[in-house]
Amino acid sequence: MRKLHLTNAAGRDATVHTQGLRPAPPPERGVPGKAVHFARFLATDENGLHDTLAGAHGEDYGQALIDGDPEVDLESVGRFLGGTDKVFLSSTGDVLYAAPEVVEVIYGPDGAEKERRSPETVPGNVNETDPVIWTGKKMPKAKVVTRFAFQRAIQIRHVDGLTYDFLFAMAKELSDSGEMVLIGAGPGGKKPLVFQTNGSPYRGFLEGRIDGAKYKLLLHLSNMELKRPAEEA
Amino acid sequence: MAKPIVLNHGGAVSQFDFSKVDRKKLYGRRVRMNLDPAGERCANADLTDDGWRLIRRGMASQGYFDQDGSYLSSRDLVGLDADGNPLERVGSTLGTETALEGPIAPEVLLDMKISSVYALDALEVDAALQQALEAGQIFRFAFNYRSDFLAESALLLQNGEGVFALVGQPTESEWCELDQPPPPPVFEEEEEDDDLDFEMF
Repeated sequence: MRKLHLTNAAGRDATVHTQGLRPAPPPERGVPGKAVHFARFLATDENGLHDTLAGAHGEDYGQALIDGDPEVDLESVGRFLGGTDKVFLSSTGDVLYAAPEVVEVIYGPDGAEKERRSPETVPGNVNETDPVIWTGKKMPKAKVVTRFAFQRAIQIRHVDGLTYDFLFAMAKELSDSGEMVLIGAGPGGKKPLVFQTNGSPYRGFLEGRIDGAKYKLLLHLSNMELKRPAEEA
Repeated sequence: MAKPIVLNHGGAVSQFDFSKVDRKKLYGRRVRMNLDPAGERCANADLTDDGWRLIRRGMASQGYFDQDGSYLSSRDLVGLDADGNPLERVGSTLGTETALEGPIAPEVLLDMKISSVYALDALEVDAALQQALEAGQIFRFAFNYRSDFLAESALLLQNGEGVFALVGQPTESEWCELDQPPPPPVFEEEEEDDDLDFEMF
């Protein structure tokens, strides 16, 4: 369970617990009554790759595969693969023995390259020390759900009596007004929430629900607006 | 082209074409690229732990095997419940008349983890449904893109940009009480950086 440093409308802060909300896992696939396992295996060796086959038999090598199985080396094909290490190959297919240069390439929505630059490391900003901010920017729930697609939700929970009062009051305020409030990081809460280094930035909207003395305080996270791509709009 | 989404609202049928919307299409993307000494893009490969072989792209595959090591094709596999019993296959809903449920509360949408978003284009839309959507009402319907063992649902809504269907799975949160013991620790997987830019910010 992670901790979250959160401020309320008055700027008071507290450290509380969070728990990611996940759907039930999809059903496992298998054969009834039979133990099965999932494995990675060697499907072909270098001689079965397209470039090699095209070089040896021409581009239309389908019949050659049927006639002679040149892509199947009985000594190696089908062998299960265990652990592997990642290596980089040069554009000519040779193994690199020194770390490659890394660049960050920006593509526009049309798929065209817009910019190349040195990669920047963006640290996470949701943690125990830096508070995330109640910005005070509120929107009715009905409006928020038609403007953003929410891919993640986090439940915020108290850790003691004081934080129960702290979170209950926030949930009650939001429940009573039927609104959600924008939560942000950095000074004034102007920055999106980033949960880990180089992680996706999210807009966070806090929602509160109340049932007597019970509460739910849910942080809904979105990284996509509900709108049509520019070429379709 | 995929079959349309066909929805029944109060006995009247509406049909929509649909196209997937994702962040790449809206905002573009950011990719970290490895370059070789000549400034050309590197390819990735895997070296087996024992140094036996370099696995280039296209050389490996994956699948299910039984205890004898025999390969099982996808036709042999079914969805299994928690007790190992076979589940019924859920057919595709595309092209099939599907009942709309609702209007539903915004909380129903907030309780879903959205996995796909589709922009809808009306081929034929019932006037009452059109009016309800323009009024901001949200509806739910069963949605399954292709036949499989997981029934999904989608939420139909409209905003100033158009009509959308949001597909996902429900999540469950808990009520918190003053004297409630803390829940057991849950391992939280870290998300992977998906190299996407996000100009929404």
